[in-house]
Amino acid sequence: MISASRVSKRYVKYEDTPTLIGRLIRPPGRTHKSVLWAIRDASFEIGRGECVGIIGRNGSGKSTLLRMLAGVTAPTEGIVEVNGRVAPLIAVGVGFHPELTGRENVYVNGTVLGLTRRQIEERFDDIVSFADIGPFIDTPVKFYSSGMFVRLGFSVSVLAEPEVLLVDEVLAVGDIAFQLRCFDRMMEIQSAGTTIVVVSHNLNAVRLMCQRTMVLHNGVIRHDGDTDHAVSLYHDLLGEPRDAEAAEGRGEFAVEAAGEIERFDLIDGDGHSTRHVNSADEVSFFIDVRFDKPVQHPIVGFAVYTATGVEVYRTSTPWQGDGVYEPGTRTRFSVRVRPALAAGSYTAHLSLVNGTGASHTPVATPLMFYVAGRREALGIADLRAQFDVLTSQSADDPDL
Amino acid sequence: MLTTRKGFRLDGGPTPAAALVGDVWRARSVLAILARKEFFVRYRRASLGLAWAIVLPLVQAIVLSVVVSRFVRFHTGVNYAVFVYSGTLAWNYFSGSLSAGAGAIVDGQDMSTKVYFPRALFPLTAVASGLYGLVLSMFVLLALSVAVGAGVGLHAFLLIPALGLTILLSASFSLVLALLQVYFRDIRYIVQASLIAWFYITPVFYPLRAVGHLRPYVQANPVTGIVELFRAATVGTDPGWGVAIWWTFGWSAALLVLAVRLYRTYDRTCTDLL
Repeated sequence: MISASRVSKRYVKYEDTPTLIGRLIRPPGRTHKSVLWAIRDASFEIGRGECVGIIGRNGSGKSTLLRMLAGVTAPTEGIVEVNGRVAPLIAVGVGFHPELTGRENVYVNGTVLGLTRRQIEERFDDIVSFADIGPFIDTPVKFYSSGMFVRLGFSVSVLAEPEVLLVDEVLAVGDIAFQLRCFDRMMEIQSAGTTIVVVSHNLNAVRLMCQRTMVLHNGVIRHDGDTDHAVSLYHDLLGEPRDAEAAEGRGEFAVEAAGEIERFDLIDGDGHSTRHVNSADEVSFFIDVRFDKPVQHPIVGFAVYTATGVEVYRTSTPWQGDGVYEPGTRTRFSVRVRPALAAGSYTAHLSLVNGTGASHTPVATPLMFYVAGRREALGIADLRAQFDVLTSQSADDPDL
Repeated sequence: MLTTRKGFRLDGGPTPAAALVGDVWRARSVLAILARKEFFVRYRRASLGLAWAIVLPLVQAIVLSVVVSRFVRFHTGVNYAVFVYSGTLAWNYFSGSLSAGAGAIVDGQDMSTKVYFPRALFPLTAVASGLYGLVLSMFVLLALSVAVGAGVGLHAFLLIPALGLTILLSASFSLVLALLQVYFRDIRYIVQASLIAWFYITPVFYPLRAVGHLRPYVQANPVTGIVELFRAATVGTDPGWGVAIWWTFGWSAALLVLAVRLYRTYDRTCTDLL
């Protein structure tokens, strides 16, 4: 269905974008340009009806790969082959014009996605009811809420019954009810034989939808296979360059560095360093601090955020400890938690602060980790719900 | 190749010319719906609506004829305002197509960077969306030329090749300019500046016979051919328009060949720069 063999994509970035006059008067070879290989030597095959996830950091080449699968750009080297009609969800509502009504836009969008007028007519009612637009279908889309706009655009793409559906982070929009409907619909068309490629930062969505996932890192496919393995590799890779970035110039948050965080790590129950934890198991975050100046009564602050930056939990040591740390000492501050969270990526922050909240040390790079939650738990916190069905009295009970 | 049932196969090399043309042909329904959209959106919510497409060139012709006739009197054989109208018709369509067409790929980047159809469709859409106005105006021209006594005969059928040639010329210019605009953002402004000067070397408000020894140059202007063909079909024209038409053909053919060459190489990759 989809095949890529030894595909590489080079982008030329012009530091000074060439202008016509510039091109004419400047001797050739003098333009300042840099070359970026967004994808390097990628080969893979995706079969009919498969659902494949692509994950990787920003700038790892995910979008470039998806653009090539959509046929929007051609590889510099190698061959990309797609046998089937592609509906890219790289952006929903491509070609939507604000002055046109929903109905008119459906026809434009559907045609752009390769449907004939007849095919659109056949699907029209389904599209409108799936999008839940109702009477607004004959209203210009500029009056739509952003939710309605996205729903309509998404409906056209999904109901176009494409043979290949490319999804780029689109599940992040719309309300929960609509997201679930999209999800069901995608699973439905997948079982009907549509090939789906999902690019997402939402590892949960990827884990739920795809058995197979590719991890892209700096344009190279580092893993292509089992999703759980991909997810943990992704977190290992997340650490690498960020640490390097952090090593360069930090410390602007520390009022007056009294020491240095030498290590910030996460260990599982067996004492092994990890980035992949189970929501049921107790784990420990710790920082190793080297003191250069005397510090009295430091407070340890601990916080967890979701990958999108929502604060999940924050606390600090209740004690105004009597600890006094002399220059030259090395101390480990550790916090033990049971990460009762839904599956997903989170960041942990651990710091050593004084009574006013100022940090004693340059702030450590947040530690990113993945919680393998229970599949039935969605959202952020896993409250471990227990359902009971208590038989009620019948409605015509005279006592009521 | 186009994202049709058959899918596509991409390598780094240029698209074969036949595949390129085939892709554009297969995407003709996309072209039609986009052109329709562009045309109708333009006049939506204006109270006169589509009438503007007819009124504007009329007003332009009247103003131009009143102003010019205060300085020069051309012997045109028919009512001067109608004569000017026959010229503005073709000129407006051509200049409008070029102004919109030159920026079409860059302006269409919302679409062109997200879903693939042949990039040539963007300038072609700009050219096609002006057709509604042009065809409407052609009927107005026919009516006017009857009204001023030029009569309608078999020569009115020349409007059909006139329309075809106008589209061919506008499309070939727009195709080349739109792709160049992606790489050289000055193109759009160069086009705008050129159109201002170009208007005066095109026999819009003067007859071909009035240019004297400059005639060979004016004939070499590709727009002269289409202006004269519109006149031949309606209000009548000067001898020598046949030469101008050959020039128009020549320009169109040369630009089309260039366009095919350019799109073969840059069709897939030009949006990398957007």
